[in-house]
Amino acid sequence: MKIAVCIKQVPSTNKVRMDPVTNTIIRDGKDAVINPYDLFALELAITLSERYGAHVTAFSMGIPATESLLRDAVARGISGAVLLTDRAFAGADTLATSYTLARGIASAGKFDLILCGRMAIDGDTAQIGPELAEALGIPHVSGVSEIISLSENKAIAVRLTDSAAETLEIALPALLTIQKDINIPRMPSIAGIRRSLAEGFTLKRAADISADPRRLGLDGSPTQVVRTFVPQADKLSETIEGTAAEKTAKLLGIIGEVRK
Amino acid sequence: MAKSYLHLITDNVEEYLRDESRTVGSAESISFPRSEEDVRGILRELGGKTPVTVQGARTGLAAGAVPFGGHILNLTRLNRVLGLRENLDGEFSVILQPGVALSVLRKCIADKKFDTEGWDAESLCIYEIFKEAPRKFFPPDPTEVSATVGGMVSCNASGAKSFRYGATRGYVKALRVVLTDGDVIALRRGENFADGRTLTLMTEGGRLIKLRLPSYNVPATKSASGYYIKDDMDAIDLFIGMDGTLGVITEIEVSLLPLSHVIWGAMFFFKDEASCIDFVIRARKSGSGKIAALEYFDSNVLEILREQRRTNPSFSRLPLPSDEFSFSIYAELHCNSEEEAARELFALGECMEASGGSERDTWVSRTALEYNALIGFRHAAPECVNMIIDRRKKEHPSITKLGTDLSVPDEHLAEIMAMYHAMLAERNLQYAIWGHIGSNHVHVNIIPQDENDYKEGKALYNIWAKRIVKMGGAVSAEHGIGKIKADQFRMMYEPVHFREMRRLKLALDPNGIFGRGTIFRWEDDDE
Repeated sequence: MKIAVCIKQVPSTNKVRMDPVTNTIIRDGKDAVINPYDLFALELAITLSERYGAHVTAFSMGIPATESLLRDAVARGISGAVLLTDRAFAGADTLATSYTLARGIASAGKFDLILCGRMAIDGDTAQIGPELAEALGIPHVSGVSEIISLSENKAIAVRLTDSAAETLEIALPALLTIQKDINIPRMPSIAGIRRSLAEGFTLKRAADISADPRRLGLDGSPTQVVRTFVPQADKLSETIEGTAAEKTAKLLGIIGEVRK
Repeated sequence: MAKSYLHLITDNVEEYLRDESRTVGSAESISFPRSEEDVRGILRELGGKTPVTVQGARTGLAAGAVPFGGHILNLTRLNRVLGLRENLDGEFSVILQPGVALSVLRKCIADKKFDTEGWDAESLCIYEIFKEAPRKFFPPDPTEVSATVGGMVSCNASGAKSFRYGATRGYVKALRVVLTDGDVIALRRGENFADGRTLTLMTEGGRLIKLRLPSYNVPATKSASGYYIKDDMDAIDLFIGMDGTLGVITEIEVSLLPLSHVIWGAMFFFKDEASCIDFVIRARKSGSGKIAALEYFDSNVLEILREQRRTNPSFSRLPLPSDEFSFSIYAELHCNSEEEAARELFALGECMEASGGSERDTWVSRTALEYNALIGFRHAAPECVNMIIDRRKKEHPSITKLGTDLSVPDEHLAEIMAMYHAMLAERNLQYAIWGHIGSNHVHVNIIPQDENDYKEGKALYNIWAKRIVKMGGAVSAEHGIGKIKADQFRMMYEPVHFREMRRLKLALDPNGIFGRGTIFRWEDDDE
């Protein structure tokens, strides 16, 4: 049984810098973390590997600095990681990204199950999982909250919808996107960090994954971001001082003003 | 007639009669000065005879800020940052009034954003340099960040990271202290030293005060117990940890340190306590100086947290180790690079393996998200214990949590841990132990079921205090003596030392108006 987990590098703060020309996020690797949604998929993959002896590989398309996040994933208890990095990948929208990931995964062997986080906290599209399944020509289920069982050719999983929990039998290979908060992602152990730093690392460029250059990066991205802006938000804080009575009076005054 | 600064105590200001120790005092009047000049005016108006209790944010756990009659001098509105300084070594310091809250100071430093109204030209110039300089921080870290810096200086506060950075004392560069008659002593570290046990102070009013310092030796361990006294000591150190008993601190200069680029936290899980303590001793000996904190959680803490996670939805996402583990240590590394942090982490891993643990049984936080998860774990312990106590108080209103604050020298660590567990088990008391094991300073929290347990727990606390004093320990490692530990404090020194402390106090405060009942009971040592 082979499982692939896709992870994305996202900024750890909400103070991102935008490229004024391409209107895409500038990713310099500083203060980057694994997309928190992906950690739930990663944790699920690790528990599946413990339960079924599955072999788990993490995949990411990103700048070279993404290597440290993939090593972090290895430290948490997976078998290996593949970084897809090339200047040709830059500026990719979800279509080009899912094509690149599909080529990367296909070039690394045959996987029975591919897990993705439900979405990324920066782009918020939730498109990569389904698009990747399409690119690989396999079925997918989004928003999975539990995998009840896993066998050579099928998985039984629960998917939460707004009104119900569906239990689905899925033929493998398949792709699942994983709901948030379904587990408590483990932190890496010291033993895991040692292993992650000592072990080799697979790096693949465009030429290594037999990709069609016209479908990569900005060239392969039909999405045009016309404009991005940070919404205006005001936050004022005021310390209210004085005796309990004075403070109450001041607070009532402030509430009154807000209500107007 | 000049306007009076004094307000009478009414129902509106009742909150000022207590602090976090839940001790309730009494007072006739209260004032909220906004300047040093106000403080002097208030003391003049009081006429030098009325007892005065100086207050900060009242977050203290030893009732130092609780008034026993007289006047409350509340300094929370003396809360301006007055300026910045930089010395020749490029070390920055902040000049501030005592009522500035730690949280406010931290935010100003982190955001590099100060309200500069009224700052002098030097401060404004240094502010520009500060903005461009690498990030700094103010190391003392008591858990309660609403504490005022004045309160922290007054009780020489410390916290988890004192293991590496020490207590507040090490960061106080200068103080201004107003005496009972309104005269001021301005102190700067490195400028005035005692000659043996004789200290001479010059006031701004030109008065020379000669002090005979008490003859005791302070314990060679983490301590916030009474006046800090040493041969040839720096004069400023007498006023750090004086718990509001010698004068009113009106201005403080604190130094800042460069902020570490890489901060990693790690939890280490053990099946038995012997391995856990052995690990602490090894980690401490490894002596790299990069370990900022070494914190301990006993099996009862983990049990309480597991129970809360099972039953309380707000703890449902608390990370916990599997049931086979009973004891844990939290270590925090402050390093300059990830490579250095990894080296330090692996050294701790080797200590763990040598102690019979396994590097696999660890959690390492290398991101802010996971660092906060570990902080959440640490804070969940006291939160859960307080919830249990609050539930029990409904039936037994007089009980409270009994939390110890005892520290001992390094060589006694294993001995006191065994003593705590054995004596609590003998008495069948419910408890949970956590705290600063790196400094041999754990908080034993006795959780009484009823009044009997409470009484028995209190008696046990006193027995321990006596024993740790014999080991060269301190009855208060970080909370201060205040009023509620004055009895235990008497176990630390001889009666003659208390007479000497009283004499020292009277030389600065002739009518004994400041902090009555704090550090020592006023009536006990009347000569």
